[in-house]
Amino acid sequence: MPQSINSFSQSTTDWRAVIRSNHRKTFLVIGLFILIYFTIGFLVDMYIYMERFPQVLPANIFHALITGQIFPLATLILLGVAVISLLITFSFHNQLMLMGTEYREITPATAQSTAEQQLYNVVEEMKIAAGLNYMPRVYLIEADYMNAFASGYSEKSAMVAITRGLMQKLNRSELQAVMAHELSHIRHLDIKLTLMASVLANLMVMVLDMLFYQAIFSKRRSDERGNALLTVIIILRYLLPIINILLLLYLSRTREYMADAGCVQLTRDNHPLASALLKINNDHQENHAIYNAEYQKTPHENVRREAYIFDPVQAGIERTGSLTDMFSTHPSLKDRLAALGFQYEPK
Amino acid sequence: MSTGIIILIILLVIAGFVVFIYNQLIALIEAVRNNQKQIDVQLDRRFKVFESLINVVKKYMDYEQTTLKDVVALRNQAQQAKASGDEQTRIAAENKISQIASNLNLVFEQYPDLKANQNCMQLQEEIVSTENKLAYAKQSYNDSIENYNATKKSFFTSMVVSIFKSKLDFDFPYWQLSEAKIAEQESYTVKL
Repeated sequence: MPQSINSFSQSTTDWRAVIRSNHRKTFLVIGLFILIYFTIGFLVDMYIYMERFPQVLPANIFHALITGQIFPLATLILLGVAVISLLITFSFHNQLMLMGTEYREITPATAQSTAEQQLYNVVEEMKIAAGLNYMPRVYLIEADYMNAFASGYSEKSAMVAITRGLMQKLNRSELQAVMAHELSHIRHLDIKLTLMASVLANLMVMVLDMLFYQAIFSKRRSDERGNALLTVIIILRYLLPIINILLLLYLSRTREYMADAGCVQLTRDNHPLASALLKINNDHQENHAIYNAEYQKTPHENVRREAYIFDPVQAGIERTGSLTDMFSTHPSLKDRLAALGFQYEPK
Repeated sequence: MSTGIIILIILLVIAGFVVFIYNQLIALIEAVRNNQKQIDVQLDRRFKVFESLINVVKKYMDYEQTTLKDVVALRNQAQQAKASGDEQTRIAAENKISQIASNLNLVFEQYPDLKANQNCMQLQEEIVSTENKLAYAKQSYNDSIENYNATKKSFFTSMVVSIFKSKLDFDFPYWQLSEAKIAEQESYTVKL
């Protein structure tokens, strides 16, 4: 990657089209998640009713369930559990996101320097452009690496956080672009969406696990009709976590593209965000060792990874060795810049 | 019997659809109105900010005392024009205030000592931010009109609009410059 954004061929971006196409993709992913969740609930119901009525054929139980002749109790209980866990997650999310960092809230009254005042002004300008009814809270994180994230399940509880490194190394319009990206996340309700998807994903894996052990260790005589269901459960148990990860990553990348397009929508300029992203990337490359230590030192860094404007794992920082490391939560820098209208052809 | 129920269900669905569209459009119309007033809010804010800025600047340099009076006079002119519905005069007066703002920035450039001064850096930041807020308020107003117009003219929705024409059908003008002003701004270049 070149150092300066000026070595890219520049064009404009149709942010309306980007938002529209990613909106469709989100519908697809969320629809799939809800469908899978109901399928799992349905599977539990099948299992319970087959235990209770050993003499009835599975096909008949299946038919009775989908026509509503017997009550899908497990599906409904699972739905209730999902709603309650979502409410709990939403209400603790802001504190969770700042966990482990050293942070301070910035208001016009608490701003200690012109730079901090500028940060608050920039967020307020973007709030006006976005037509939000509430001013998001602004937090400054005391860290040298350049990153920022947004949180909050609604406009009212929204917050943006930014590291001191980012605030100091970007100029005014680049800072504005980063903040526009974060406010777009809030505006598109991305936090709500990704949280909902990940809570559902975790819950369904848990339920499937319980069903799996129940089915394997139950003292049921192995008859023909139970085997088909058991096979489905076993296959799903190993397949579902992988499907979940892929879906979650797809969703996360889609929302990143949308927030980038949303930034262009708010500032009507694609140059500042592109140059800010490149700056953040180059800065991570240059100070790789220092930042690596700093990221590792900060506890609970993994809760912020998906929300950051720049995924530190992409810069080779913070490898935890888990499966998700193989895929980034963010599209590659090259793809993001291309979506913003900046093509790079090495000569 | 059963055909009666089916017809009833269809009617209920249509009624629900109409109510949904009605409420959606009302929300969009109020958003446009609020954003329109947001421009006024920002103009008002700018006046107050600049008034206090000029008062501060006076302490640092022998800046013409008349500037403050100019701003006040222009502001009165704008407000009178607004009251009598004369948008042309109003925009002209507001534009002149913008010019004074850029002059203020030029004054800063002429005094290197002053430029390095912490207070003046804050003032400059305040001027830039104030002008940005006004521009973004205008942009936001136009965006909400786009949103409303696109929804209003789309199919099915337009049918509902034609039923409640007096409540749902408004023609909000986009914020824009006059033809003469555009021609003038187009040929504008910075003379150093």
